Amino acid sequence: MLKSKTFVKKTRSGGVMKIVREHYLRDDIWCGSEVCTECKQESTALQRDPCMESNLCSYPHYVIPDTNVVLHQIDVLEDQVIRNVIILQTVLAEVRHRSAPIYKRLKDIVHEKEKNFYTFTNEHHRETFIEREPGESANDRNDRAIRVAATWYSEHLKKSESDTDPLKVVLLTNDQGNKQKAEESGLLVYKCEEYIKSLIGNPELVDRLALSNDDKNDITSSKVLFPEHLPLSRIQAGLKNGTFLQGTFRASRDNYLEATVFVQGEGEESTEVLIQGLQNLNRSVYQDVVAVQLLPRDQWVAPSSVVLQDEGAAKDDNEEEGEEEKELRVSAAEAARKPTGRVVGIIKRNWRPFCGMLNASIIKESTRHLFTPADRRIPRIRIETRQADALAGQRIMVAIDGWPKHSRYPNGHFVRTLGSAGDKETEQQVLLLEHDVPHQAFSQAVLSFLPTMPWEITPEVMVNREDLRSLTVCSVDPPGCTDIDDALHCRELDNGNLEGVHIADVSHFIRPGNAMDKEAANRGTTVYLCGKRIDMVPELLSSNLCSLRSNVERLAFSCIWEINHEAEILKTRFTKSVIKSKASLTYAEAQMRIDDTTQTDDITKNLRGLNKLAKILKKHRILKGALTLSSLEVRFHIDSETHDPIDLQTKELMETNSMVEEFMLLANISVAQKIFDEFPDCAMLRKHPAPPPSNYDILLKAAKSKAVEIHTDSAKALADSLDVARVDGFPYFNTLLRILATRCMMQAVYFCSGMDSDFHHYGLASPIYTHFTSPIRRYADIIVHRLLAVAIAADKTYPDLMDKQKQSALSNNLNYRHKMSQYAQRASVAFHTQLFFKSRGILNEEGFVLFVRKNAIIVLIPKFGLEGTVFFDSKTKAAPTVVFDEEGPSLTVEQHTFHIFDRVIVTISLDASNIQHQKIRMSLIEPVIPGVSVSAPEVAPLAKKPRLDR
Amino acid sequence: MATVQVSEAEKVYILHGIRDDLRVDGRGCEDYRHMEIETDVVSNTDGSAKVTLGDTAVLVGVKADIGKPRPMVPNEGYVEFFVDCSANATPEFEGRGGEELGTELSNTLYKVFNNKHSVDLKSLCISAGEHCWVLYVDVLLLQCDGNLYDAISVAIKAALFNTKIPRVHISADEEGGKEIELSDDPYDCVRLNVENVPCIVTLCKVGHRHVVDATLQEKACSVASLIISVTHKGTITCTRKVGGGSLDPESIFEMTEAGKRVGKALHAPLMKLLQQEESLGKARQKVGFLG
Repeated sequence: MLKSKTFVKKTRSGGVMKIVREHYLRDDIWCGSEVCTECKQESTALQRDPCMESNLCSYPHYVIPDTNVVLHQIDVLEDQVIRNVIILQTVLAEVRHRSAPIYKRLKDIVHEKEKNFYTFTNEHHRETFIEREPGESANDRNDRAIRVAATWYSEHLKKSESDTDPLKVVLLTNDQGNKQKAEESGLLVYKCEEYIKSLIGNPELVDRLALSNDDKNDITSSKVLFPEHLPLSRIQAGLKNGTFLQGTFRASRDNYLEATVFVQGEGEESTEVLIQGLQNLNRSVYQDVVAVQLLPRDQWVAPSSVVLQDEGAAKDDNEEEGEEEKELRVSAAEAARKPTGRVVGIIKRNWRPFCGMLNASIIKESTRHLFTPADRRIPRIRIETRQADALAGQRIMVAIDGWPKHSRYPNGHFVRTLGSAGDKETEQQVLLLEHDVPHQAFSQAVLSFLPTMPWEITPEVMVNREDLRSLTVCSVDPPGCTDIDDALHCRELDNGNLEGVHIADVSHFIRPGNAMDKEAANRGTTVYLCGKRIDMVPELLSSNLCSLRSNVERLAFSCIWEINHEAEILKTRFTKSVIKSKASLTYAEAQMRIDDTTQTDDITKNLRGLNKLAKILKKHRILKGALTLSSLEVRFHIDSETHDPIDLQTKELMETNSMVEEFMLLANISVAQKIFDEFPDCAMLRKHPAPPPSNYDILLKAAKSKAVEIHTDSAKALADSLDVARVDGFPYFNTLLRILATRCMMQAVYFCSGMDSDFHHYGLASPIYTHFTSPIRRYADIIVHRLLAVAIAADKTYPDLMDKQKQSALSNNLNYRHKMSQYAQRASVAFHTQLFFKSRGILNEEGFVLFVRKNAIIVLIPKFGLEGTVFFDSKTKAAPTVVFDEEGPSLTVEQHTFHIFDRVIVTISLDASNIQHQKIRMSLIEPVIPGVSVSAPEVAPLAKKPRLDR
Repeated sequence: MATVQVSEAEKVYILHGIRDDLRVDGRGCEDYRHMEIETDVVSNTDGSAKVTLGDTAVLVGVKADIGKPRPMVPNEGYVEFFVDCSANATPEFEGRGGEELGTELSNTLYKVFNNKHSVDLKSLCISAGEHCWVLYVDVLLLQCDGNLYDAISVAIKAALFNTKIPRVHISADEEGGKEIELSDDPYDCVRLNVENVPCIVTLCKVGHRHVVDATLQEKACSVASLIISVTHKGTITCTRKVGGGSLDPESIFEMTEAGKRVGKALHAPLMKLLQQEESLGKARQKVGFLG
């Protein structure tokens, strides 16, 4: 039967179009129930005896939720308890239209066999299709369609009745009007809350219920705290005529009353708008896309350097917020003022479930509690739960439901618990979730693309491959490394030396476009946490087939140079090859072989030759202006049984480290040049933009305070002036300066050569650069391998590889994943540092002032590579007089003035009093300031909040 | 135009018959042939009608679109006509054969309909000087058996009656920017007032008398005809003479009077019929093109 659907649509040019779609109705849409004898269905999703014990409906029944129930209570529907649910097509279509993520989750549930969800295409069923009546709104029509389908089901199931109890359908809706109409037509209908609460034996489900509108009213007072958000139409009009700006909301990590909105402009014209104060922030949450209105110029303010946390008991909604806000409004120099604005509306919320902990309410019987997310940029969330006692001390996930304008906090609901806080497994999961690191086990689809074991090199594989198995190749890596992706060799030729770098041929195993490739592209990089590695490719590849282990034949992609003794490249050649590594060494082992003059075997000779060349290469590079920067990296000695860190030391660098690095750099540059020559439009390269001069301000000021001059006109000038920067009696000064310089740098990024014109790598002082040498742990390298393979005619190309738009999108994902993995790594180090200090107790250590803030100094402890903040004001006792001088920058506390690079002694201990956020506590011992510093090893509750996550 | 060959003897026969108020098919001089009307036949137009008059068949579709008002009349919308002479109607229309006739017909239609007295153009205005509705009236000739003008005019009137224009709201913000918003209810639409839309009556001078709704044979006997557009009140809005021959003033007067009479009589049953069909709503059995 043919019907037509008619609707009018506005066209982009402002016209109006009437669109008519044909709509076919069918007789062969089955009900999907096991009981049914009428329908000729092949498989059924709904069970014969659905057992959901509820004291409202004691009979067996199926559940039909309406659209709003699905949209708001998807967390409940996802629970294993909820089964035998009929999802109507009307509901599915509406959900799809309203929220893509929830649609995806719903689809996932439907596909899950154990959940017994069935999608009924009621819109195409001859008996359940309805046409919109005159005067009926689209929503009313859909509600009616749902009711008609529900009625059909109850009639239909009655018909196919056999001996058992009649099966019934229960409609869930929160809409009062819909409920009433459904009752009138004789349907069983309940509110979602009613139904969930009636389920026997699943009290925790109630907590997952999202708060619906009428519940919110009794939670919060009626006082309006925030200005109303503008409707989307007004926002769009405002954006069009320029009164509003659209940007991404970025909450400040340090100050909950301050945020910036990043407004993407044309090319370089991106700006940041400062937002200050609760009212102006207007319920924005980190990462939301918001519309901001700039305030008049005389109301512009400077970003405050105050560190302010939203702490303590839930603030009353009526409470005056003035005090803390006033603290912000310190008169700032005219120059420091920044464009300031206020949020007028939200264009797109970017809420996800957040990890964190429950702040149990002081009132014992209360069911409303505050939830403190692990990410400080996320505001605290108010949730309702009856299991506060059970959840105390647990890491939990919470989703935000909404933020009404009369509530101080957003309202949310409990999603699931991750485990007890402080537990290593739990914390690791938290930081993976918080940094959006895909860490699930590889799916069957992905694993199906693995080669079958035992794997061996077949003659087909040898086509287009050079046999280099006879060469004395060896690999040098950190200890415990199982994913060896690079190996080296060095062979004396008649005229000079023949040098080779061999990189694991991962692209041989990962073919473009298959599930494994897509998964790897999504993961982007392997993430190394302390004691755990989250692989980009399945372990069989990463630790076995691709890993260039010693004494096994492995496929490789070789970059072979002919280099003379002055380390000048005479010839470069790329080829796919087969190698057989003779030794897998650690840096220390390799160093020992080089240094030990008694050893004269092939491998050692090889290493010596390499080392000699590497030194020359490095010299060349530094002459060209490459920067040697410094950041402290720590390494934990992990107890092999308890997996607790037992010692901590900063990583030391050996000659061999730099030897491997030099050759990798050389290979990367050679490959970058080759693929760019071959594919000027779609080569994947890596650039490191020169930082804007203002970035160096802090470095210049700091150096000046020690009467050292730093030139930042070019990388070369910077490198040279860093080399000569020394202060007598302060050997660590140079390292500190380099650490500061590192902080001034921009982030290096992947990009597609066709989309950009600036290729320069500032830090390496190379005109072109890419990543080629670690395909096991970086996806960018796989792409580069594929490009290079095509360039030397060793492999076929495919359309996506040559599509610069797709390449560019891929680079963006890789950059994002790369950044997130770095954050996750740092967070993991911070967590292990805490564990370490927990076991070590209180320590007194020497440190240096790295930054000076308005009310605190940030101290670096070189021994542990640890950074912490010493605060000079506290809420508990009278604050000392603190004077901040922005020009210095320096901070005068009582009589003593702190400058950057000042040497201090602090005590370090773990503050475990608050399980919420365990933190490293630092307090000042030296210099002695009465009333501020503490006497060694005693610990006063003065300092708080380390800053580990820089 | 489709032509038929008529022999001298036939001509005399027809002429004599008409002189005695008796036509070859049995009609009187002021009688129409059997007429069938069906509206809402093309679903993707905003209004449509199909009219058959004897063997003449025309299909009219009305599409409403948003456009800019003419600068001279900022508070009125306007109507556009296009006549497509399908080669289905007669093989002569093949290729560009129908173009001349199409242009001639549409020029006449502009004259007759595109003025504020015939169609309520003011109601087509959305915001003065900025937006208005433009009605695109597409006429498709399916079959030609004489008296195209009358059939087309009836079909246009029926199609305009059937036209449903989506209701739009103008939302203005404080900056003065205007945004057109569509209602999401497909039933929420505006109807046109077609009361004053005229019908065309073509009078064919055959011998000393004139006939209404001439067949092709009668047309072949005639030297000239007069096109008169008449409203339901009997007001004449447009007259036009077509054909090579001449008309003396006296007969022009006679023909106008007859046209008035016939036109007035045509409107009342037409409107009644349309309203009757409308009242059936969705329950109406559609005939379409195969019925």
